[in-house]
Amino acid sequence: MSGAGMVLSVAKGALLAQRGAIDIISHNIANVNTPGYSKQTAILSAIEGSPYSGKIFGRGVSLEEILRNTDSFVENRLRERRSELSAMQEKEIYMSTIEGLFSENTENGLSTQLVDFWNAWYDVSNNPAGIPEREIINERGVLLSQAFQSLSTDLYAMQQEVNHTLSSTLENINALTAKIAELSEQIVGMQVKGEANDLKDRRSEYLTQLAGYINVKAYEHEDGNMTVSTGRGYLLVCKAENYELSLEGDQIVWESSGTGTVNITDTITGGKLGGWLDIRDELIPKYQADMDEMAKAIIWQVNQTHSQGVGLNGFTGVTGTDAATGAAIALGTAGSGLDFYDKIQDGSFQIWLYDSSGALVGATSTAIPIDADVTTLNALAADLTTIDTDLGAADVFSATVNADNRLVLTATGGYTFAFSGDTSNVLAALGVNTFFTGDSAATIAMNPALALDKNLIAAGRVSATGEIAAGDNSNALVMSNLQYEDTSIRRWIYERGETAVSGNVVGTIGAYLSSFESSIGIASQSAQRLREFNQSIFNTLRQARDSVSGVSLDEEMTNLIKYQHAYTAAAKLVTTADQMLETLLNLKTI
Amino acid sequence: MRISNNSVYENIKYNLELATQAMIEANNVVSSNKKINHLSDDPVGLANVLDLRASLADIAQIGRNIGTGQSWLSAGENALTQIEDLLAQTKTLTVEMSSATKTASQRQNAAATVDGYLRQVASLANTQVNGRYIFGGTVTNTQSFTFDNETTPTLMTYNGNNTAFAIRIGQNSDIEVGRDGADVFGTNWDDDNIFKTLIDLKNNLQTNNVGGVQSAMNMLDDNLNGVRTKIANTGSKILRLDVKQSIIDDMSINYTERKSKIEDADIAEAIMNLKAKELAYQAVLSSSSKVMDLSLVNYL
Repeated sequence: MSGAGMVLSVAKGALLAQRGAIDIISHNIANVNTPGYSKQTAILSAIEGSPYSGKIFGRGVSLEEILRNTDSFVENRLRERRSELSAMQEKEIYMSTIEGLFSENTENGLSTQLVDFWNAWYDVSNNPAGIPEREIINERGVLLSQAFQSLSTDLYAMQQEVNHTLSSTLENINALTAKIAELSEQIVGMQVKGEANDLKDRRSEYLTQLAGYINVKAYEHEDGNMTVSTGRGYLLVCKAENYELSLEGDQIVWESSGTGTVNITDTITGGKLGGWLDIRDELIPKYQADMDEMAKAIIWQVNQTHSQGVGLNGFTGVTGTDAATGAAIALGTAGSGLDFYDKIQDGSFQIWLYDSSGALVGATSTAIPIDADVTTLNALAADLTTIDTDLGAADVFSATVNADNRLVLTATGGYTFAFSGDTSNVLAALGVNTFFTGDSAATIAMNPALALDKNLIAAGRVSATGEIAAGDNSNALVMSNLQYEDTSIRRWIYERGETAVSGNVVGTIGAYLSSFESSIGIASQSAQRLREFNQSIFNTLRQARDSVSGVSLDEEMTNLIKYQHAYTAAAKLVTTADQMLETLLNLKTI
Repeated sequence: MRISNNSVYENIKYNLELATQAMIEANNVVSSNKKINHLSDDPVGLANVLDLRASLADIAQIGRNIGTGQSWLSAGENALTQIEDLLAQTKTLTVEMSSATKTASQRQNAAATVDGYLRQVASLANTQVNGRYIFGGTVTNTQSFTFDNETTPTLMTYNGNNTAFAIRIGQNSDIEVGRDGADVFGTNWDDDNIFKTLIDLKNNLQTNNVGGVQSAMNMLDDNLNGVRTKIANTGSKILRLDVKQSIIDDMSINYTERKSKIEDADIAEAIMNLKAKELAYQAVLSSSSKVMDLSLVNYL
């Protein structure tokens, strides 16, 4: 067929095709700001010609396909990077909060508190009998304990906060995987009629959101289905099915199609979840553990020194601050349940008894021997309870073990007692004549007995002749010297999925603290740098993606004009064909 | 590369973000005057700063310790110098009174003077600093020396102990600033005790025992020598504290300087930096606004 009819038919096809192209452009322009939208392009192609009088005449144009401009390679890279970036962003935010907790720019920083604490002991050594100095060392002890406690509480609260966020995030993840599964089902249905471009864009956008929460791998099948997995291949979406994640305690579990669940917590490395889990299971536990070690070192060193000394007067009664698990268990063994059982060694300590006028009873002390693996709380109490009669006094002193398995020493009739020369560390371990109580950053506190009676703060030591001198500062001097002494403190490393390991660091407590704080700074700094690094890679990839899939208004406008002209021209074709037909018809009437 | 509209806007946003952040950081440095505003700004520098801060606090504390020591030592020096004066006067009086030309009543009068000296020495031996006895060893809360009988003393009792009160002026470095009273005033009641010398002298003057008065002279010489040794020793301790004080003053300046180098901002540099960041920010703003205005739509 040829002639005017053919022109008309080509014109009709051209009008339809150009208008279709303009429709697509308007869709593109309308979606210029839609997240996840991929630019669509009209693919026009010439209709195969048909033979006429020995020639092949083309039959015009048709809209062959609406192409969705995507590059799955770039999309996948972008999605992976998005997971990394989200993880880093969360880490950066949490680390900057943590470093804010440990800020040393105020006068309330931990290191300032520690220095002030040691210096307060110097002030006590300058005036051992001074009440203000004793009040201040008590105050400094309280402040130092509070600094440790509040940091420990804040870190714990942050961990709890992560746990709360996890459960709501898992709901989001489950909602997203459900939507992806649902969309896949629709896409497969639509693929039969044509490309489901916009549904695919939506699915891709949901997938991107999902990647922001958790590291995922996605694979699109020929039929339009999509498989999404996380961690070590745990399926989140397969065809029209989605598999949910949920919390069991504080662990994230994957629910298989059966009834079983698998703990996948440690396989989650990316997305906000990955960042939060790193914070919760690696960083915060490390800082908690290191702070505990530091608090433990301070508590032990101070208590051990304190238990060697004596206050302005002896005790009328004292109850151990640390309870054992049983009264018949050897004190130096783990079974004793004492916080510092491992510090107890074979040795002895001296106990001195004074009458109501302060005069030494029996002109000598009583040595109490300790065998770390043998001596039990009961045996120690039995050894102690007879010292009064042994020294030649009436029944004025008793040692018992109370219901909590604490050592209770009581003097009556105005008698007092004091300790010296403890080589076994048993007094410090039992919490007798100690400064702090507790064994970690969360539990460190002032011994309430000292807070009540500051005269019991041991600035001096009982002399070899049993004298307690008000101006004796020998114990306070040893105490203030602790800040210069090297000690071995553990430093922990937590890695998810691995058992925590620790190594010993030898140095002063102050040096441990400053290297601890500097390690927080380094962690925060590296989180920032990694975030920046990932951000720039992410930006490059996003540009690459947008250069394939993004809408450029300039381009669309140009194309719009192009198709508009073609449309006008095609319309002209119709007029031309009309005129041609008219010419022919006029021939007939003539 | 094909640039989509989204890319243009995302890029503008990102660049504005970077420029704002850089400007805010530069502004933080200027307004806080510190280079290290967060632990992460310079973790290694921060560790040094913390160490230096601890050392500075330690130095300040040692300074306070030295202050305490100096007040003790100068109180001690003061008391000892006065005791030296009193003993020297006693000696002059003794020389005078050992002369055969003196009468019993003159010696009686002299006895009253010696009694006055004795009481002055006793009161000096009980010198206190901030309510603490400095010649009582570490028994600082009990009067160091008491007469057996206030009106007619025959014996002086020492209530202190033999451990002198010490302060710390550095790691493992103690200095005794108080004194063991027995060591200053004589350890042995029968031999070289200053109080015994004075009590005996007074009694001998009262009873007009010229021999006894003469024999007191040797004792007074011994006592004077003893006190002078203590004065010299106190002087050398004061000097030692002065030297220590000037050393820690130097250290303090040195540490402060080092700390400042690490954590304090060079204000001129910081302001220049802020200006540069401000300029960069303005450049981003102006170029971005130009780019955002451009569109083919405007020309169709």
